[in-house]
Amino acid sequence: MKDQWTERLSDYLDEEMATPEREALEAHLAACVECSTTLLELRRVVGRARALDDQPPATDLWPTIARRIGVETGRRRPVRRFTVSVPQLLAASIAVIIASGGTVWLAMSRRAGPLGQQPAATSTAAVARVSWTSDTRYDAAIVQLQSALEDGRKSGRLDSTTVRVVEHSLAIIDTAIAQARRALVLDPGSSYLNRHLAETMQRKIQLLRGAAALATART
Amino acid sequence: MRDTTPGAAQASGDTITTAEAEAVDVALAASGDGRAFERLYRSHVARVHSLARRMISEDIADDVTQDIFIRAWQKLASFRGEAAFGTWLHRLAVNVILARRTSVGTERGRFATPEHTLETIPGRPAETELSMDFEDAVSSLPDGAREVFVLHDVAGYKHQEIAVMLGIVPGTSKSQLHHARMALRRHLER
Repeated sequence: MKDQWTERLSDYLDEEMATPEREALEAHLAACVECSTTLLELRRVVGRARALDDQPPATDLWPTIARRIGVETGRRRPVRRFTVSVPQLLAASIAVIIASGGTVWLAMSRRAGPLGQQPAATSTAAVARVSWTSDTRYDAAIVQLQSALEDGRKSGRLDSTTVRVVEHSLAIIDTAIAQARRALVLDPGSSYLNRHLAETMQRKIQLLRGAAALATART
Repeated sequence: MRDTTPGAAQASGDTITTAEAEAVDVALAASGDGRAFERLYRSHVARVHSLARRMISEDIADDVTQDIFIRAWQKLASFRGEAAFGTWLHRLAVNVILARRTSVGTERGRFATPEHTLETIPGRPAETELSMDFEDAVSSLPDGAREVFVLHDVAGYKHQEIAVMLGIVPGTSKSQLHHARMALRRHLER
């Protein structure tokens, strides 16, 4: 059985009633057991809804998504399609130079040690040889890529929001690198920390390369 | 209290929060890093899939979830960081779900559901029966009432926002929500 207030109980519950109406309803609730009971039940429905657990899909959807967006699962080889205009083509030549710098650094790193290797291929023994205190090749690559980023900012090819996001991300990665280095002072033999440091340094390179590519790809 | 990533060095004072780590992944993914995007997928897939399951149906939730993450990948460059990535993704998910709903031609008349239709949802089972799962009860709601209920009571959107999303007036959103709650209250264990 319903009365004139039943339809308003959700508004009351959600605090979407004007004060005079709310006071009138509260007076009614004090005398009407049915409405009070319904209100209690509605509260429980809301509470139950808020407590619902989010469940992942029964099967892993990532392999299909990765295939559809053109990335290979477990690798950092994005396949993104760009429509390149003539000015972009000129800019792309700059990107090639920048990318070459990164590639050279990666190739040298592979010869010298595991810094440039993917984690899956990193052996514990090799990781122990990582020179985490300083790496001039790494530093040079970083300087080169940061210079490309700065050029993109100055020329306006990267907007200020993008630059801010990238710089913020770089600051976070730098913090992570500093933390890993501090931790390695306490535990220099840790293969986990060495690998973590190498991966974090790789992420910085990747972020900068991505930003530099964006800077050169935009008109 | 700051939420920190596992394994962050305790010795130092400046740890990385989960949100900051996610911001890095968003930036990396926007530059084309598939592994970073996979990490974002792993972090958010449960929420997105649950939204799709509740808003449309279990049957096509996987398919819709894939579409949502593919759209997110394509739209990442437009993410400006003004809201949290999760908030942006959730809103994008709602849009994809609603577009899918429209594409299958099920939107017409969804908010004209008479109350007696809501009342036909099976009531609380007899004591000898197993209690109907609350999620199943939600899925049994008429489309319009279910969408408003999920968006308001589960996802936390306001009536004004829901009205814009669904192309209805806020009053209709309030009415549908109340009807949904009234139908669902009979499925609660006493």
